[in-house]
Amino acid sequence: MDPILRHGISGLSDKENRRCLREQLFYEQMKSIRIKKGYDLPIAGAPTVDLAQAKRPDRVASLPKRIPFVKPRLLVKEGASVNIGSVLFEDKRNPDVKFLSPGGGTIEKIHFGKRRVIEQIVIDLHDEEKWEGLADFSDDDLERVQRQDLVNTLLKGGCWALFRALPFNDYPDPGTIPPSIIVTLDSREPFHPRPDIYLDKRMDLLQFGIQVLKKLTHTVHLTVSDGQALTGSLNGLLTHVMTGPYPAGEAGVLLYHIKRQPDENRAWTISGQNLLLLADLLKNGRYPIDRTIVVAGMHAPIRQHLRTRMGVPLGHLLGDGVRKSGGSRFVNGGIFSGYRSQQDDYLGFFETALLILAEGDEKEMFGFARPGFQKPSHSRAFLSALNPSPLSMDCGMHGELRACINCGYCADVCAVDILPQFTLKSILAGEVEEALAHGLLDCVSCGLCTYVCPSKIDICAHLKMAREDYYKEIA
Amino acid sequence: MKFIQKLFDNSRRHFEEGGRFSFLFPFFDATETFFFIPGHVTQEDAHVRDSLDVKRYMSFVLVALLPPLVFGIYNAGYQSNLFSGRQLDVISVFLRGLGLVLPIVLVSYAVGFFWETTFASIRKHPISEGFLVTGLLFPLTLPPTTPLWQVAVGISFGVVIGKEIFGGTGRNILNPALTGRAFLFFAYPGSMSGDPVWVAVRQIKETAVDAVSMATPLALSKLAAPGDAIEALLSQSNYSFMKMLLGMYPGSIGATSALLCLIGAVFLILVGVASYRIVVGGVAGILVTALFLNLLAGESTSAWFSLNPMYHLVMGGSAFGIAYMATDPVSAPGMQASRWIYGFAIGALTILIRVFNPAFPEGVMLAILFMNLFSALIDYFVIRVRLKKRILNV
Repeated sequence: MDPILRHGISGLSDKENRRCLREQLFYEQMKSIRIKKGYDLPIAGAPTVDLAQAKRPDRVASLPKRIPFVKPRLLVKEGASVNIGSVLFEDKRNPDVKFLSPGGGTIEKIHFGKRRVIEQIVIDLHDEEKWEGLADFSDDDLERVQRQDLVNTLLKGGCWALFRALPFNDYPDPGTIPPSIIVTLDSREPFHPRPDIYLDKRMDLLQFGIQVLKKLTHTVHLTVSDGQALTGSLNGLLTHVMTGPYPAGEAGVLLYHIKRQPDENRAWTISGQNLLLLADLLKNGRYPIDRTIVVAGMHAPIRQHLRTRMGVPLGHLLGDGVRKSGGSRFVNGGIFSGYRSQQDDYLGFFETALLILAEGDEKEMFGFARPGFQKPSHSRAFLSALNPSPLSMDCGMHGELRACINCGYCADVCAVDILPQFTLKSILAGEVEEALAHGLLDCVSCGLCTYVCPSKIDICAHLKMAREDYYKEIA
Repeated sequence: MKFIQKLFDNSRRHFEEGGRFSFLFPFFDATETFFFIPGHVTQEDAHVRDSLDVKRYMSFVLVALLPPLVFGIYNAGYQSNLFSGRQLDVISVFLRGLGLVLPIVLVSYAVGFFWETTFASIRKHPISEGFLVTGLLFPLTLPPTTPLWQVAVGISFGVVIGKEIFGGTGRNILNPALTGRAFLFFAYPGSMSGDPVWVAVRQIKETAVDAVSMATPLALSKLAAPGDAIEALLSQSNYSFMKMLLGMYPGSIGATSALLCLIGAVFLILVGVASYRIVVGGVAGILVTALFLNLLAGESTSAWFSLNPMYHLVMGGSAFGIAYMATDPVSAPGMQASRWIYGFAIGALTILIRVFNPAFPEGVMLAILFMNLFSALIDYFVIRVRLKKRILNV
């Protein structure tokens, strides 16, 4: 807001001036957090801001394997008929946590992977889909409802797992009250839907969602990484704006920068789109399946925002531009956090992006000695350091695995000030205590340390594995 | 390109498991990956990777070493021809220099590569690019008269004891090239120090002269009596500041020209391979310590106390050591703050050794090796301090 307002604008009445000042103070409650370390990937293939409505698919699927830590117990069989919101499976660790069907139709196939891991539950959609009825809440109901009733409704509505508890990224224990809940509206990771697009005409739902969260805990943070287009319309809801490169906008990064006490560590997080789902569930009393996603990447036939539904087949998202060529990789989710998929796979529970990248499995002659004006790099070792334009990236390793040479590039990009090269060595030496002291649990798995490593060590994966081992140990 | 690719594809089976030369697979692999970056792809997240790899990282050090190498070849030939009373035109000087330096470099690479391949074959891991740097750094620190068998022994010691017994590149504590140099220095002092080693004089039949002894600036300065000005002594022997900066005087093959070392250091810093903290810290360490000793200088102290600090930068191997040796990331500390401390300590120790310990004409070699030993300790304390600021998350 304009600093002139602080002194009043001469043409306005006193009353109007006071109102402006009040508004300004409102905005000033919103804190700006600057992320100094990090890196914005100069990758080409960004989606446009166009939003298209995807056609209705003829089948959808639920992917239990891709929901972290969950041990699914199947509650349906092949051939059974389900509605939108029928229970498909529950978590053996806590049977109250249910996962519901994203479509109405017949269970066509349940795919099992190695050691009978449930990979996909595919539902062949009926022409007329039916919805399971679930409890709905009006604004007034929300005022009066008990916290426990609200928690039970979310559990029953299949939306509990949308919450993630830091630092392990499992769903939170429904019996606990978190120190805070962090809502992240966007991510600077390439590529994710823009908040101004998925929030368009749904601001009331966001507001309702925030009210719900305030029933669950005292402190709710709403953060966006790059707020210019949004701060006006979010009108006082926003608590933090994070500036700076990726991973600005990630919940763990925000928490690292605002926490004052160790007891603030176990905050819950939920993404903006997932909060809309949760609000939708409570407001309309039915299982929400809307998703706004992006299709992007240099190999994508179209690059844009799409409004579609959960569990949609990836090939379906490409419309008529489908191409089943080798040399392309389908990534379910963002470039640092997504996982590899095939064209006949389905969109995951948490995922809001489909990236199609070049596989990059060709050999390159004298690759190490080329000037590299088009070669993306965080270092200054290529002429691309002088090239500001986005560059085409592929999934090649661009080198071979070597021992760590202690160059320290990983520490240069770590937004939560872990010393990845030293932490990695303490993990490899089995010194968990040391790794924890370095801030192993502050790691947000942004993947930048892995990206920049010239020795091609997957540092991020090592940290992630150590964190999961530690979680299993203390659980 | 297709042809070379085919050549590798056809011969691969001989080197793979069960092939006749399977014990040489690391050699085959190193040769192939020199020509081609392999088409490996990422498995899970992160799906894309930086274009930089260790091969390119290390190649930049080679590029930065080219100017000192070419100049060293020229200078070795020039000094040799000058004192042998031969022609001083560019071509004959250069050819003479090549004749002197090339065998040393080739022996260093060949013997070092032999050890590298041997260890890689036994351990079944790929040959690391770090060796390319060691193999060139080491000969550039030697006098041009070094016998080739000593080059072989030195590089063997450097690679095996300095690096491989610790597990290879990335796991070594000491800088391998300097380790080899230090070994030669202590094992064969006659060939590594003293006046006659720096110029390769050829006896010419008609005008047979005795071997010319030619002192380096550092050795000359040792002769200064208390109260003498080293600067004056040097200029009597025709060593001006400018001459030492440019490097046209007898000395180690690659280390005489401080100016080229400066250019190399700036290049390495620009491409992000060398840490500017170590270089600036090292230069500051030299200047600050020398200035401090200037203040202590009196009638009875050695002439070294009152030497102009700038002279310390251009004399001996300090410029070469700080530009190329101290900045080796593996043996240097990893924290940014530690790198300042490490660089400064190297500079300060170099001066202290030069001034207080006349037994060693060169301080920077010992200073770097000494600080190599301490780099893990510096990191340890810097990390302790840093971790105190963290809010614990367990």
